[in-house]
Amino acid sequence: MKKRVDYPNSFTSLLIHPHPPTRGGKKCIRKLNRNKSGTILIENVIFIVLNVLFLVILILFLYRQGNGAIILEQSYAKNIALLIDSAKPVTEIKLNLGDAFALAEKNGVKSEDIVKINENVVTVKLSDKGGYQYSFFNDVDATTYPDISPNKNYIIKINGYK
Amino acid sequence: MKIIPNKRGDKILSVYWFAILLITAGGIFAMVYIFYGTPYDVREIETRILTNQIADCVSYEGKISQNLISNGIAKEGNENFLDQCHLNFNSPEWKDAQFYTEVNLYKLENLNTPVLDIKKGNNNWVADCTIQENKKQENLPTCLRKNFYSIDDKNNQYIIKILSVVRKAEKNVKI
Repeated sequence: MKKRVDYPNSFTSLLIHPHPPTRGGKKCIRKLNRNKSGTILIENVIFIVLNVLFLVILILFLYRQGNGAIILEQSYAKNIALLIDSAKPVTEIKLNLGDAFALAEKNGVKSEDIVKINENVVTVKLSDKGGYQYSFFNDVDATTYPDISPNKNYIIKINGYK
Repeated sequence: MKIIPNKRGDKILSVYWFAILLITAGGIFAMVYIFYGTPYDVREIETRILTNQIADCVSYEGKISQNLISNGIAKEGNENFLDQCHLNFNSPEWKDAQFYTEVNLYKLENLNTPVLDIKKGNNNWVADCTIQENKKQENLPTCLRKNFYSIDDKNNQYIIKILSVVRKAEKNVKI
């Protein structure tokens, strides 16, 4: 007497049982498909769509966090302060701020206002909020302005000691 | 073997699966929040730059500044020598100075008593360096000690010890 083998009748169950008991290979799968109803297919599609949506939201969240104004402001302000600290007078530093220019433009901040130096404090502003400040100890007269061409660079000029 | 189709089991599995997704998402959100919420700590680099600047000021091209030691004798009234080193420890950003530096010059023959001892900055932070001698604590100021060898204009040999301290904890550590 032949034994009857029943197969799980949904896609999810197939995932749990990647190797269902086989009897005749392809024939069994064909049999399985024939048994499926339309509703099960829709349920599975919704399930997959929700999973993909979840992943997309997660990736977008990570991307936005890494390229957020607060992170970039802090990183650039500290970098510029350290560059000024280690610079000697009559030095011109060209800094590529491509990311910062793009973000500032998106947030409506003028390119001239991105990096400012007041006394011995560097301020980097990439959003309409206050920006990030970091001080340097090197007692130099430093000025900053955006480069004309290519317009992704910012120039930091160390003119001399105060 | 008989496998009974179980729709209810599928639904329970879906709930279980979404619970796993939520836990994973929660974990990732928490990790990202902690990672990006912690400021970049640049104080170690800052202390290194400060030490180099002081070293260049005290001894340039391997010879001790003649404003410090001339004809083999330490000049008097050089307590404020570090003011000549183009350092500005005051900032509108902070109420108190966030830096401290100390330079000690020792003759090679006597490494116990310094020939010169010059200081600049806020000496409140020195005690925190002693605490951190065995184990570094991020909430406390970052300290760096460097020694190097130099000679004066009469070729007398000296060991110069520099201690640089940078606090700025609020800007570099999550407090």
